[in-house]
Amino acid sequence: MSARGTPYVELHCHSAYSFLDGVSLPQELAQRAGELGYAALALTDHNSVSGSMELAQNAPEHGVHAIHGAEIDVTGVESASGVVGAPGAGGVPGAGGVPQAGGSANRHLTLLVRDEQGWRNLCRIITLAHAHTREGSSRRERGEPSVDLQVVLEHAEGLVCLTGCAEGAVIGRSAAGHGAVDEQAARRLLDAFGAENLYVELQRPYARHDRARNRAFAALARRLGVRCVATGNVHAHARIRAELQDAFVALRHHATLDASEPLRRGNHSHVMSAPQAMLSRFADHPEAVRETLALAEQLTFDLTKDLGYRYPGAEEQGASRRLAELCGARLEERYGSPLQRGARPEAQARLEQELRVIDRLGLAGFFLLHHDMLELAREVALEVRGVGGLDSARALLAPGRGRGSSVSSLVCYLTGLSHIDPVAGRLALGRFLHEDLTGLPDIDLDFPRDIRERLIPRVHERYGSDRAALVATFPTFRARGAIRELGKVLGLPAGEIERVARGADHYGGAEVSSEQAIATALSGGGGASAHAGPAGTEEIRSERWRWLARLVEQAHGLPRHLSQHSGGMIVSTRPLIDCCPVVPAAMEGRQMVQWDKDSCADAGFLKIDLLGLGMLSAVERCVEEIERVRGERIDLSRIPFDDPQTFRAIRAADTVGVFQIESRAQMQSLLRTRPMNLEDLTIQVAIVRPGPIQGGAINPYIARRQRLREDPDYEIPFEHPALEPVLAETLGTIIFQDQVIQVAEAFAGFRPGEADGLRRAMSRKRSHEMLMRHRERFIEGARAHVGAERATAERVWKMVEGFAGFGFPKSHSAAFGLLAYQSTWLRVHYGPEFLCALMNEQPMGFYAPDSLVHEAENRGISVLGLDVNASDVGCTVQDGCVRLGLGYVKEAAAAEVHGLVAERERGGPYADLSDLAARSGVRRRTLEQLAWAGVCDGLLASSAGLRAVGERDRRAALWQLGLAAPAETDPSRGSTQLALPLELPQTPRLRKLGRWQRLIADYSTSGVTVGEHALAILRERLTVPGGADPVELATSAQLNRLPSGCTVAVAGLVIARQRPGTARGTMFLLFEDEFGTINLIVSKAVYERHRQLARAEPLLLAYGRLERHQEHVGAQVRDMRGTPAEGRGEQEEEIRPVINVIVRELAALERFLDGGVEEGAGRLARASVHRLPGSERPVASAGAGAGEEPEGADVGSSMRAAAPPVQSFAMGRRR
Amino acid sequence: MPRTLNQPRPACVRWRDGAPAAVDGEAVEALRESWLVEDQWWTAEPLRRRYWELIGARGRNVVVFHDLCSGAWFVQ
Repeated sequence: MSARGTPYVELHCHSAYSFLDGVSLPQELAQRAGELGYAALALTDHNSVSGSMELAQNAPEHGVHAIHGAEIDVTGVESASGVVGAPGAGGVPGAGGVPQAGGSANRHLTLLVRDEQGWRNLCRIITLAHAHTREGSSRRERGEPSVDLQVVLEHAEGLVCLTGCAEGAVIGRSAAGHGAVDEQAARRLLDAFGAENLYVELQRPYARHDRARNRAFAALARRLGVRCVATGNVHAHARIRAELQDAFVALRHHATLDASEPLRRGNHSHVMSAPQAMLSRFADHPEAVRETLALAEQLTFDLTKDLGYRYPGAEEQGASRRLAELCGARLEERYGSPLQRGARPEAQARLEQELRVIDRLGLAGFFLLHHDMLELAREVALEVRGVGGLDSARALLAPGRGRGSSVSSLVCYLTGLSHIDPVAGRLALGRFLHEDLTGLPDIDLDFPRDIRERLIPRVHERYGSDRAALVATFPTFRARGAIRELGKVLGLPAGEIERVARGADHYGGAEVSSEQAIATALSGGGGASAHAGPAGTEEIRSERWRWLARLVEQAHGLPRHLSQHSGGMIVSTRPLIDCCPVVPAAMEGRQMVQWDKDSCADAGFLKIDLLGLGMLSAVERCVEEIERVRGERIDLSRIPFDDPQTFRAIRAADTVGVFQIESRAQMQSLLRTRPMNLEDLTIQVAIVRPGPIQGGAINPYIARRQRLREDPDYEIPFEHPALEPVLAETLGTIIFQDQVIQVAEAFAGFRPGEADGLRRAMSRKRSHEMLMRHRERFIEGARAHVGAERATAERVWKMVEGFAGFGFPKSHSAAFGLLAYQSTWLRVHYGPEFLCALMNEQPMGFYAPDSLVHEAENRGISVLGLDVNASDVGCTVQDGCVRLGLGYVKEAAAAEVHGLVAERERGGPYADLSDLAARSGVRRRTLEQLAWAGVCDGLLASSAGLRAVGERDRRAALWQLGLAAPAETDPSRGSTQLALPLELPQTPRLRKLGRWQRLIADYSTSGVTVGEHALAILRERLTVPGGADPVELATSAQLNRLPSGCTVAVAGLVIARQRPGTARGTMFLLFEDEFGTINLIVSKAVYERHRQLARAEPLLLAYGRLERHQEHVGAQVRDMRGTPAEGRGEQEEEIRPVINVIVRELAALERFLDGGVEEGAGRLARASVHRLPGSERPVASAGAGAGEEPEGADVGSSMRAAAPPVQSFAMGRRR
Repeated sequence: MPRTLNQPRPACVRWRDGAPAAVDGEAVEALRESWLVEDQWWTAEPLRRRYWELIGARGRNVVVFHDLCSGAWFVQ
């Protein structure tokens, strides 16, 4: 190490994992240290080793040896006696002394790890420091970590102790910065650590009393007989980050920069400097500088070597035998029945083959562990649901699935990891399990949501709270949050900050710098005629705004705080705190390690992701309902996986409710790609993800597939022959995350470790520089490995680089594709039960329940409204129809609704309103809500006091209930109405509820209407001007028959809005009318003109150009890989076109009701909209006009108040 | 007329070997402390000063600073 001739090693350095104090990532620090010629670097974050693994992984490639440690907050140190000197004299700025980073009562100690024992002790100290941090009244608020000095003394072995930074040294006094020393504390440290392991730390932050303090400290060191060591207390890797550090300090103290001067460091001396510069800085103490080298040489602990972690089962002696027995028994069950017996020999042979490979790879314990998890989930299911016993429909398959497991492995099927029978499905084993597999397969477990919640604490219990913990994750500074926080720190006006924050939505892509984005947002604002000038040329008003842009840029991607990962868990045989500190999580009964998933993976931890999947819950419910209603028991692992009807539905994008393939983008893509089988679906699921979209893969892939269909002899172009084996199945494009690694290896000659580094650089949030370094290696590697020309290599790199996002690994795609297939199969063959299950599993998926209902009704599935005598709490299937459940009524407490149903089951159906009021036990408020929701409509006919059939109406019900319902009990008053059925008097003549009002009543009470669609009610009242004659609105049903390119006017209820970051300001709208849905594309310019409408208005009218695109089916049908499929009468299948309306104008629908054409409708008036071919005007329903119908403005406002929630991209992702 | 105390006033400093050697003609006997202030960078008037606490030949304490933005020297 010292052979490098460098005079100094940095032993005290903070990364961004010292949250809101350090400003550089470990990899940035490592790189800079390498550039400056450092031989070694120690990372000492505050009470944390979150960054240590990152440093250990990154430092070697820069020629820097990583030293590990932490700066610990210590309490229990009395203040020094006999303080000399007073705090900062005169008005000299910066002389007030450098302030504390931690709490005011805390001192700091710097601990460095010498060996394994030291690492274990450090983990224990940090664990103890955090142990009390969640004990406040609200667990969400985190207390400050600290330990008593005694704890450190007891865990001294294997550690080297430095006495602490200038401002918080255990041996010194804080504010003065003068050298008053606390000998008592020093002697305690000496006793515990010994003279060889205790060093007095000298720092030179260029604060006023540095030299005097250092002299005093040096004198103490002499008295104690220990050495001094110089440290830099580095907080930033480069000057460009220095200002951010000041901003972070202000942020940490919830102050502005202007107000936080005493809290700041005062200068930027904490930036990493060259070793030579440090030597000059400590000109008074050259021996302390030399000591850094001597000490560093002794600290050889290597975090990348074995930490002693073992997952349960890893070393179990009889694991292979146990697995074989388990699989054997399962095989008996699954292939023992007469139906399956034929497959048995094949299954047996497959099993033996796989077990041999597993044994050779030493992975038996791995599979047993996952099996245990699934069985644990089965137990939880029993508790949670009360069902799931041996004879229930759900018992056939364990309630979870392994994602990342192979769908084609028999062992995975038998242990419950996969839900497809690979023998029946004739799936070959392939790459999943083969002899040269290195490392562990990465398997996530998906569970139904209700089970997952209970499962996580159960896993903690099962393995012991010292052997199970969640994985951490680090939310980072991103655009909006960073702008808000840093804007506040800069003292900028709150309203403007907010405006800029909102406007900075779409600069996620690498092209737009935050400076440009802020400039644009500042100039563009929200004005009606605003247009963003060419980005970057707009004047940014003042120095502060310029700084905001710079700070936001620098902060981007830095970790903000420690948080729990959504479901990743580590389980271990040894106590986890031997390997990594464990800190309490926000939720009771949970704790987490300080490492994120990448660091855990580097450490060789087995991470099991326990994820909750709404779709899995829905599928299970569906299977259960099918058994209840039809008595059929479905085994989803054994349904036919090539059902033509199912694939036809997929190709026609009849996939509403199938989570993975129901979004607008997925559906439009399905119409083009036309999947033929499970492999195609696997690719399909992965296509519409940020990765492939950014990499330009989505269009080339689809284009090539179309080409293949039309021209069976089309040769797929590969940039280079070496890419063919890797990319053949995806037609030469990169779609799966694994392909990135495969391309790096096959084309650029990357070693597996390097390729993994590339993958990591792509998934890490701020890795642009790292990515660029990989680029050079890639291009050079391509030349060396396969003789590729630079231009070719650059093009391939572009494909790879564009992929830097969240592409799926193929195994995940396979699992989701399988789930999508099984869901679609259920939707096709058991439509009502499927809808029912989705309705009961809300919120989930892309569509609101109301849209699900309408879509189902348009398909011919009957949905019956709420009925007090027929509805259950949840939705149910009755006579092939779906009956809405009472649970849908908002503001009806679950307990009350359950009570109502229970009483009905006990005492019989409710005879009339007064019976309902008397027996149901429901409060008046709730009864009113139920009546308004139409729940009681069925009781009206039988209720005494109603004049005629025509008066069956919610208002009447409300009236009656007002009389019949028991008054709210008021204990203080002592008077209650007796709960007796009353003879109700005649209902007065009340005006009947109009059609629109009924709709609004439905929406405001249950969010769902099974009656007329809003557009059906309004359409006959719409008059849209267009030239001389009024324009005819096109319905969703008519669009299919109109020529592409023509101008249309359409109206609808907005059910989805998306403005994805990758679309450069374009917004996608989804309209729903009484016949179906319409896709609309709103360009950025149009969006800016009609911002408010586009963002918030539920009932819209749009005018624009119709685009229809229809796939041709080629002479011979091929699947996604271009191999010809068996002709299955494919040519007769209807090819559904992709239809979009490119919007030119938007207007609020209410302005066109009842002949009123308002100001500003002028644009539409000049339109010449295509005449619709012989369209029938919808007939006004009988009785129209008998009820009251609100005017235009009221239509608009009532809908705005009551409309069901519109799904946006973010919401749609909730699973 | 109120007067602000302790305002910096310009000084003439002779420089040698990386440190002040004389201030306004008075030779520097010893260097006591040296510190750095870098602040107010977000305002229109950022502060970057290198301070020196010196003992002059006449035995008194002198504090000078070098304004790193303008290059000028001041006594405070």
